[in-house]
Amino acid sequence: MFFHIVLERKIQLHPRYFGPHLREKLVSKLMKEVEGTCSGRHGFVVAITGVEDIGKGLIREGTGFVTFPVKYQCVVFRPFKGEILEAVVTMVNKMGFFAEAGPVQIFVSNHLIPDDMEYQAGDMPNYTTSDGSVKIQKDSEVRLKIMGTRVDATEIFCIGTIKDDFLGVISDPGAAS
Amino acid sequence: MSLEPFNRLVKLAARAFYDDITMKGDNQPKTGRGDNRGIAVVVLDALTRRQWVREEDLAKALKLHSKQLRRILRFFEEEKFVTRDHRKESAKGAKIFSAAVAAAAGDGRGKEGEEKVKLHTHSYCCLDYAQIYDVVRYRIHKMKKKLKDELDSRNTVQTYICPNCAKRYSAFDALQLISYTDDLFHCERCDGELVAESDKLAADEMGEGDDNRSRRREKLKDLLQRIEEQLKPVTIQIARVKDLPVPDFGTLQQWEVRASAAGWRGYGEIDPNDANKSSQGYGGTPMPSLGDTKVEVDLGGGVKEEVQSEGKPTKAKVLPPWMIKKGMVLTKEQRGETSLDAEATTQETTIDDKKQADLKDDDKSLMDEYTKAYYAAYYAKIQEEEGGRQSVKQEEFGVSASDQDELFGTQETSSHRQVGMKSKRRNAEASYKLAADLNMEAKESEEEEEDNIDWEDG
Ligand SMILES: [Zn+2]
Repeated sequence: MFFHIVLERKIQLHPRYFGPHLREKLVSKLMKEVEGTCSGRHGFVVAITGVEDIGKGLIREGTGFVTFPVKYQCVVFRPFKGEILEAVVTMVNKMGFFAEAGPVQIFVSNHLIPDDMEYQAGDMPNYTTSDGSVKIQKDSEVRLKIMGTRVDATEIFCIGTIKDDFLGVISDPGAAS
Repeated sequence: MSLEPFNRLVKLAARAFYDDITMKGDNQPKTGRGDNRGIAVVVLDALTRRQWVREEDLAKALKLHSKQLRRILRFFEEEKFVTRDHRKESAKGAKIFSAAVAAAAGDGRGKEGEEKVKLHTHSYCCLDYAQIYDVVRYRIHKMKKKLKDELDSRNTVQTYICPNCAKRYSAFDALQLISYTDDLFHCERCDGELVAESDKLAADEMGEGDDNRSRRREKLKDLLQRIEEQLKPVTIQIARVKDLPVPDFGTLQQWEVRASAAGWRGYGEIDPNDANKSSQGYGGTPMPSLGDTKVEVDLGGGVKEEVQSEGKPTKAKVLPPWMIKKGMVLTKEQRGETSLDAEATTQETTIDDKKQADLKDDDKSLMDEYTKAYYAAYYAKIQEEEGGRQSVKQEEFGVSASDQDELFGTQETSSHRQVGMKSKRRNAEASYKLAADLNMEAKESEEEEEDNIDWEDG
């Protein structure tokens, strides 16, 4: 799920940037440091949408670096148990398959793949129905449900299932954009 | 718009899901009965005999404390069984409702109208049949799905085990376990290839636990089977109701407008038969509780006599085109029915012909509404007859017929229970008894009619 929230972070800036473009420099450094990171609490920071407030800088003794507290608005992505996601398969093995939904990695173990899909080893390992009509392999797009999330301080990993109604390969070409 | 099958669904669902609901509150009923299970069922049953009803009136009719009733209704509002409407009522507003009620009862005078005028917030409630249908289906679906998921162990996290050092991993570790040489899971400690635990290893690894698991599966299967079995009456009724148009009384305002219009319309025709009507066990008091069905069918009953007394031909009347369009299926069904039905159709024609003449300037939409309502009632009756419930008192039309129907409904429900829900039966009986007790105290005629039912039942 996506959220638009306000976060705060301390940004250190080298004294050479102290000048007319200090603010821009601060913001671009913030983006570089924050976007794409993941915190267990808030999820993945997808994009910064605005800076709310830049506090007073504090000069660090000895180095001359200055630390600014910056409040910024950002879009975060946090997967939840029970959430339905669309993801791209990145790897298939006999234990199941891995998929990615944006920054989130999801593992679907083979007992959460419908029973009528069999593992086929080979160059392109895949799960296929007996009639061959549905196939999951690398780069397939699947709709899956998050069964659980493992949240570390800097990482979120999910396990998912496609063993439910309306889950599995997204066959409709219109839907797979 | 056929009410009966939907009412039956409500009654079945009430007994299946709500008969052991206790409404906890500080002020228990004064009877000192700590256990008020079954009240929910009583309230739902009462609502099936009503359309929009003022909650005070309902409380009075059920001999419940209005706070207690409100708690129950709030509960059912959350359960999506009931829609409620609250409004600050001016004297005029209250009059409109009372007038609508009175009109629905076939009494154009609206005696209650003047007495009930009060100047504060009133709450009204009504069954929401469309939602009930969905909610009950969803509930059953969820119950089954939960058990099925558990049976398939869909919600469990797969565990993996190292055959060499017996170290265990869960699916959450998958990312770390994956080896980039062969895309398989490898033990972090000894690099052995991991095996999914549910495979053969599990059996000897955890003999006792496995035994536990299979016993658990047995239990789940048993539960699932019992759900199927015990909810059969409900599911059957759902299937029966599936293709029927859902009764909808509209919002309180819409209903008021419609009810008072229909009542006024019937007023001239029915009034002479009023006394006759009450002698049929209907009860003279206009209650806010009188259902659409009863009203309309009564209309037919009243007019029938009139038609006959006038000696008009009762058959071979050509149906006007608007009627054929609306009731095509019904008309066909009814062709094979008893002559009583045929009469009823022609009566309807005469009524409407007359009315069209009488009330040329009247709103066309009202006419349509009325026709719809009539057909709803009529269809309900046909259905009832198809069900082989031939009644002795059938001549008496809707009132007694629907009473009997009520009776049949309850009896059938209890017999279903005997098949499926042995464990729950006591509760059900308790609630019936409770209903009977309540009814014993009742003085109003409507309660007396319930009384009979419950006595026979218990
Ligand atoms: Zn190992």
